[in-house]
Amino acid sequence: MPEERPPLLEVKDVSRSYFEAGKEFKILERVRFDLAERDFVCIVGPSGSGKSTLLRIILGLDKPTTGEVRFEGQPLTPDNPRVAMVFQSFALFPWLTVEQNAELGLEARHDPLEARHAQARKFIEAVGLAGFENAYPRELSGGMKQRVGIARALAIEPVLLCMDEPFSSLDALTAQNLRDEILQLWSNPELPPKAVLIVTHSIEEAVYLADRVIVLSARPGRIVAELEIDLPRPRNRKEPEFFGWVDEIYSLIV
Amino acid sequence: MNKTPEGDGTGGHSMDLHSITKVSFSQILGLARAVDEAGGDADVARIAAEVDMDLDRIGPIIAAAEFLGVLTVDDGNLRLTDFSHRVLKASTRERKTILRDFLKNLPVFRYVIELIETAGRPASRGEVMEALSVHFGSFQAEDLFKAIVYWGRASELLAYDSRTEQLTLRAPGVPMPPAH
Amino acid sequence: MVAARKAFRWVALGLITLAAAFVIAFPETAGLALQLPLLALYSVARMFAAYVLSLVFAIAYGTTMATNRKAAVVLLPLLDILQSVPILGFFPAALIFFVTTFQGQPVGLEIAVVFLIFTSMSWNMAFGVYESVSTIPQDLVDAAKGFGVRDWLKFRRLVFPATVPKLVYNSMLSWSNGWFFLVASEIFTAFGSTYVRPGLGAFIADRGSAGDIAGIFLGLAVLAAVVVALDAVLWRPLSVWSERFRIETTGTGQPVPRVPLPYIRLTWLPRFVRPRRWVGTRLRPLATGYARLTVRMDRAASAHRRVIRTVRWVDLALFAVIFALVVVTGIVGLIGLLLRPHSPGVSEIPAATVRSLARLALAYGAALAWTIPAAVVLGRSPRASRLLTPVIEVSASLPATALLPLIIGFAIFLTPSSGTEAEVAAFLVALFAMQWYLLFNLIAGVRAIPGDLDEAARSFGLKGLAFWKRLIFPAIAPSLITGSITAWGAGWNALIVSEYIQFGRCGPSPCLYWTEGLGYLMDRATFGVPQLGLLPDGELLLLSILTMVLVVLAMNKLLWRPLFRRASARYRLEV
Repeated sequence: MPEERPPLLEVKDVSRSYFEAGKEFKILERVRFDLAERDFVCIVGPSGSGKSTLLRIILGLDKPTTGEVRFEGQPLTPDNPRVAMVFQSFALFPWLTVEQNAELGLEARHDPLEARHAQARKFIEAVGLAGFENAYPRELSGGMKQRVGIARALAIEPVLLCMDEPFSSLDALTAQNLRDEILQLWSNPELPPKAVLIVTHSIEEAVYLADRVIVLSARPGRIVAELEIDLPRPRNRKEPEFFGWVDEIYSLIV
Repeated sequence: MNKTPEGDGTGGHSMDLHSITKVSFSQILGLARAVDEAGGDADVARIAAEVDMDLDRIGPIIAAAEFLGVLTVDDGNLRLTDFSHRVLKASTRERKTILRDFLKNLPVFRYVIELIETAGRPASRGEVMEALSVHFGSFQAEDLFKAIVYWGRASELLAYDSRTEQLTLRAPGVPMPPAH
Repeated sequence: MVAARKAFRWVALGLITLAAAFVIAFPETAGLALQLPLLALYSVARMFAAYVLSLVFAIAYGTTMATNRKAAVVLLPLLDILQSVPILGFFPAALIFFVTTFQGQPVGLEIAVVFLIFTSMSWNMAFGVYESVSTIPQDLVDAAKGFGVRDWLKFRRLVFPATVPKLVYNSMLSWSNGWFFLVASEIFTAFGSTYVRPGLGAFIADRGSAGDIAGIFLGLAVLAAVVVALDAVLWRPLSVWSERFRIETTGTGQPVPRVPLPYIRLTWLPRFVRPRRWVGTRLRPLATGYARLTVRMDRAASAHRRVIRTVRWVDLALFAVIFALVVVTGIVGLIGLLLRPHSPGVSEIPAATVRSLARLALAYGAALAWTIPAAVVLGRSPRASRLLTPVIEVSASLPATALLPLIIGFAIFLTPSSGTEAEVAAFLVALFAMQWYLLFNLIAGVRAIPGDLDEAARSFGLKGLAFWKRLIFPAIAPSLITGSITAWGAGWNALIVSEYIQFGRCGPSPCLYWTEGLGYLMDRATFGVPQLGLLPDGELLLLSILTMVLVVLAMNKLLWRPLFRRASARYRLEV
């Protein structure tokens, strides 16, 4: 159980407020949780719970008003190569091919040309995009664009993979297929990452994917509950146990 | 694959590929997965409501899935076959092989492959489009070309370099020239 | 595509026939044609030199403005002013400066010409870079940050690619601006002597002075051919290539920044696919070498981050010092001028301003009168567009300054020795300078009218005046205003060359034609009018330039910007 493992990520009493015209708007209030190796965690909350802000703070793209975030015992900077990010909007560079996009983090690391290609190809293959190396993002469907986003993140072999609403701009069928593939990748211990943190507004998605679900309340975002989902995988969204978890989280939020 | 396009081959050669234009492999697999979760047999209306897609959007996906043999449609009912279970259990690599075996027998793909083979060099987008319009009518050449590129890439039957606009044959597992 | 190639062959054949006919009809002038390739090369080389400078300047200035908020406070308004400055007004000053610095050496003249073209090319490009960089979607910036992409790599992978569409589009605009000033600056009479740098512009002007109509046409034809050829081999491929760099979807269907004008130009030129592919395959090894080099450069750039940062700061500091010097000397000089008793010319400035404004308004009205209907026809009828676009684009490729000898000749012919020749010529030059910007913008506006709106209007029986009032005018309003801003800018510059014209021979010196106006005042202040016993007058020059800058700025701020804001809020076509 998590207590025995050293924490990978520590979110310590993070609060975030915006100040406008002398008034304070609280976005997040005293959010506190840990993440250890082999953790697959979903943060779920309604819109306005500040969950995307929380993720930006965790990544170092935004600063908390009070509190701090530590990764492997150190404050986190956005360009930490041991943490990678997958974006809701994919955030692919439209003028780069699939392979060039996947190589982005490696290029920033100044890997030699051949090593870069080999590494990028390995993860393009892993996300099922072999054959599309020389395509531009605009030629791809939404699901495939997000696969490129995932390949780009995995290529730097991160310890922690953060995903911000990774499936919410996809249609339901594509999203479900991609969720399954994420779980497939996760079940392969030879592939990175060591831990996954996903922010989502979909309770079903959280219950389908995560070992642990952190539930945030709306305005300001506060942790309402942390739940260990002990359903065996693959999970079936039609089974009563599944519904039980979904119901419970709904009642916590509403 | 035991289901071939000849079953509904009414005249137009391109019709076979037409049902899988504008649909992605992910969507087809997602649909099969949804039917699987519903017990391997489900009503179209129920699935459509569940995934929040109207007939306009889910219709082509169902047609494509049926065309690839991933589902059977029977009086508004979607049913999985032994073949679908095989596809669902397969790894990404295996799925590509299955897709490849199916696509390479389609007339459109046979035609394009032959075009490249006889030329003995990569075919440009312009050349292929021109050949397609002569053969299948110019009004759908663009869609057809996009579908050939998409499915050709997905199955690794063909490789297309978007920068040089060249279409080549691809042996599976053989790496492509690197991009810069 | 095949049909286009066939048509192109016919056009080529026709041109060859025309050329042959020309040789037979005007053998003497045709003899001059032998020098033209070299002259064209000189002119193009000047343009390229100025363009490369502009490119470097625009990228440096635009990215700094977009990424450094403190610098932007100064840089943005400064650029706004620089863009409104009628460039030709500065030319005499620049000419004096460079010629005296280099003591009459041709180098000085050459630098003055390149400098002038540079100032006509760089501002809009810098604005384009600024707009593109500041509209890069946040998620792309975050992604770059998150994956450790910075320094040179960030520029190469994110910043520069994001600027490409607007940079290419603005480069095309800059080149047509550049031709205008190149022609105006290759031959210049000042202080009793004529400065000539051999080139196409000088050739045309020289033939004009010699009264050689055939020679003028020959020069114009070569100029048009050069411009169109550059479009075919450079700008068209580049604008096709730049499409790749459009940021279209960030995936979530949020509104995405788009390049304002669609690339409607040059579609009729052949694409030369095969030679380009040949070049492409030959260049493959080069590309690999380049990729290897960039790895090393990226590495070097991040190994020496401090060096690069220092260089950048030194750069900015240098710019700030120069800027401060210019501002201070400018203010001191102005105060000094204002404290002195005014020279007699200064009192003429208000009246001259009104006359120039009226002249431009007249030319603007005339330009609108033909371009709006023409744009509607060209924008709505594919057939008309296919037939007429090449003709229009070739005509538009000729800068108004190159047409000056023809126009003044025509004006003299029209109103012989009535004293109004310059008036007519100034009007015509302004018209030619303004009309193309309006036409191309309007065509783009008409093309952007969605088909369903058009059909809806028809099906509800909207006809005649109502059709124009309810559909056409509202739909084209934003592009009309965009076009108007550019057209007026070009118009002011046209006045400087057209209100005061030296043409033909009157005894030992060229004949002088002028008409009252700000442009005339500027030229008079620079060169003097020996016939009237008027001497060069620095104070008058400075104040008339200042007046023009203020008028242009005032029009932009008080008229065009508010109009544009209203038009785009009310009439935006959201599809």
